[in-house]
Amino acid sequence: MHRLFWKIFLSFWLTLIIFAALLMFAASSYLEHIRTQQDIGSMRTRLSEYFHQGQTVAKQKGIAGLKEWLDRLDHSEAIPIFLINEAGKDLLEREIPADIIARLDRRREHAERGERKRPSHQQPIRLPDGSSYRMVPDFQSITLLRILQRPRVIGLPMAVAALVSALICLLLSRYLTFPLERLRRATQHIAAGDLAQRVVPFMGNRRDEIADLAGAFDKMAERLEKVFGAQRQLLSDASHELRSPLARLQVALGLARQRSNGQAEKELDRIELEIERLDELIGQLLELSRLEAGVDAAHIDQVDIRELLEGFIEDAQFEADSRGCQVKLQKAFPAMVKANAMLLHSAIENVIRNAIKYTKQDTAVEISMLEDAGNPDSIIIQVRDHGPGAPEEMLPHLFEPFVRVEEARDRLSGGHGLGLAIAERAVRLYGGEIMARNEPDEGLSIYIRLQRAKI
Amino acid sequence: MARILLADDDIELSDMLADYLGKEGFDVDVAHDGDAALSKALANPYDLLILDVMMPNRSGFDVLRELRARSLLPVLMLTARGDDIDSIVGLELGADDYLAKPSSPRVLVARIRAILRRAEAKGELQNGGERPDQIALDNLVMHMGSRTVVCGNNPVSMTSTEFSVLDILLREAGNVVSKANLSERALGRKLSRYDRSLDMHVSNLRKKLGPLSDGRERIKTVRGVGYIYSRT
Repeated sequence: MHRLFWKIFLSFWLTLIIFAALLMFAASSYLEHIRTQQDIGSMRTRLSEYFHQGQTVAKQKGIAGLKEWLDRLDHSEAIPIFLINEAGKDLLEREIPADIIARLDRRREHAERGERKRPSHQQPIRLPDGSSYRMVPDFQSITLLRILQRPRVIGLPMAVAALVSALICLLLSRYLTFPLERLRRATQHIAAGDLAQRVVPFMGNRRDEIADLAGAFDKMAERLEKVFGAQRQLLSDASHELRSPLARLQVALGLARQRSNGQAEKELDRIELEIERLDELIGQLLELSRLEAGVDAAHIDQVDIRELLEGFIEDAQFEADSRGCQVKLQKAFPAMVKANAMLLHSAIENVIRNAIKYTKQDTAVEISMLEDAGNPDSIIIQVRDHGPGAPEEMLPHLFEPFVRVEEARDRLSGGHGLGLAIAERAVRLYGGEIMARNEPDEGLSIYIRLQRAKI
Repeated sequence: MARILLADDDIELSDMLADYLGKEGFDVDVAHDGDAALSKALANPYDLLILDVMMPNRSGFDVLRELRARSLLPVLMLTARGDDIDSIVGLELGADDYLAKPSSPRVLVARIRAILRRAEAKGELQNGGERPDQIALDNLVMHMGSRTVVCGNNPVSMTSTEFSVLDILLREAGNVVSKANLSERALGRKLSRYDRSLDMHVSNLRKKLGPLSDGRERIKTVRGVGYIYSRT
């Protein structure tokens, strides 16, 4: 338990320690390096170089220029360098350590006695206005803080430390996110209906919270698979069990016809009609519950909408012929949609059949494919009839199961209001939308918006 | 009298159906599970097998698969209504036609008669009908008498329905045959809404015959109209 917690904790801690240690080591060794340089010739040359620079600046730009130059020098040089005037004040008004004042006093004494020849950089820098400054390096004040504050001095060690720690952090992040990425992909597959996805085999020898999560995920997937399987089986059984009596009823009806010798033909016709209605209703109910349970969502194909619609026109015309109307495909263009071909087929079939049922004689059901102006990633299928339309307040309810627009008329047309409900659920399953609108002249339009497949 | 084997696990239904078909002039035998159906179908000279998909022991599909390996006995599949996949699988496995359950027994009788007519065409032709004894086009030869097809030099076995579909397409080679026309002449019934039977039979024919010698599709789909047998 909590292995991941410790992994994260330890690796962050370790990184921080390594980073800090590297920095301190680099800085302190640099400090040592400077200190041991105190009396070495190179230090002297540097100082005399500074002196000459200072003298030139002082001549050309006066006190203001000298001040600026010293300030810049102080930012790049690890050793603090003072410029002290006759009154014992630093040019940058920094506080001067006591040992430096003592050293200056000693120098002055030596000078008065004329005992020693001073190196060039110990000469005072003279300004045009007559004042003069002495250049005094303060070797004792090279502190760690001062070094850390000089980016040019500490740049390289810092870069090394950053690189090392970045590498550690990179490995850590990869170690943490790789299995999460696997989990994310598996989740997407499950959401798309592929319930056979499992992630534990990808976790290798991992023993931490992520591995636990993967285990829990697999358990969930297994359970989902079982539940969906059971649901599918139940629906299949229900379908069989509900239809078996109907099948027997049909045959019994046939036998009754054979034996009645045409004596009860009208009544038997009626029985046959009701059997057919019952059969259709059972079919639709089962389809609706399949959709609600989402058991068919798994198989997603690329569906060519134009081909699908062209196929429909041919088929739907048969049904339309018997009602004395036509079905026309007005506008079509090539477009692929990601959906279960069978469900989409059934959705559009239900919408078209509904339109055929309501359109007036000698009119046409017009089917068009439209580009979606607001969204280039989707297309719209419009199915328009020339029927009586529906009352405005009923439009949002058309897609509810068993809804009746007008009691009497619906019974006449044999409607039981499941077709549009089936269509709505099937369309919604793939991120689509369906809505109804009355046309200004006459008739009802059903608009189906579908997401284009990304190629 | 045509002999029919009815394979359905619903005993009550089979009994009533046997009664009904008997009155329509068929000699009906019944089997209530897949194993019995297969052994009976192979042992006796039936004219037609009515095969339910959902059966214990061996499903209708398994029976059909086994049967087709050894026999071209005409088969009418009974599939669950609303399950298009069942009908497609059945036709792919070589069923002559399918009927969704429950359906009116009158429709069933019409389907049975249509299938039997196709199968009987064989007998008539053997006794010297008006039609030519064989049709040959490119590398394909159909012997009407023996009801065999030779493609290239290989004999191709096909069901009587597939034979009828090919017969009509071949006679009209180069012309489009509408689906409605093909359905009436080959399946003996009006094309119904959303019926995939013809598509499946044609797809089986394509698979069995392969493309033309120049690589073109032998039977082309003319979308929204029908099919055309291409000639080289």
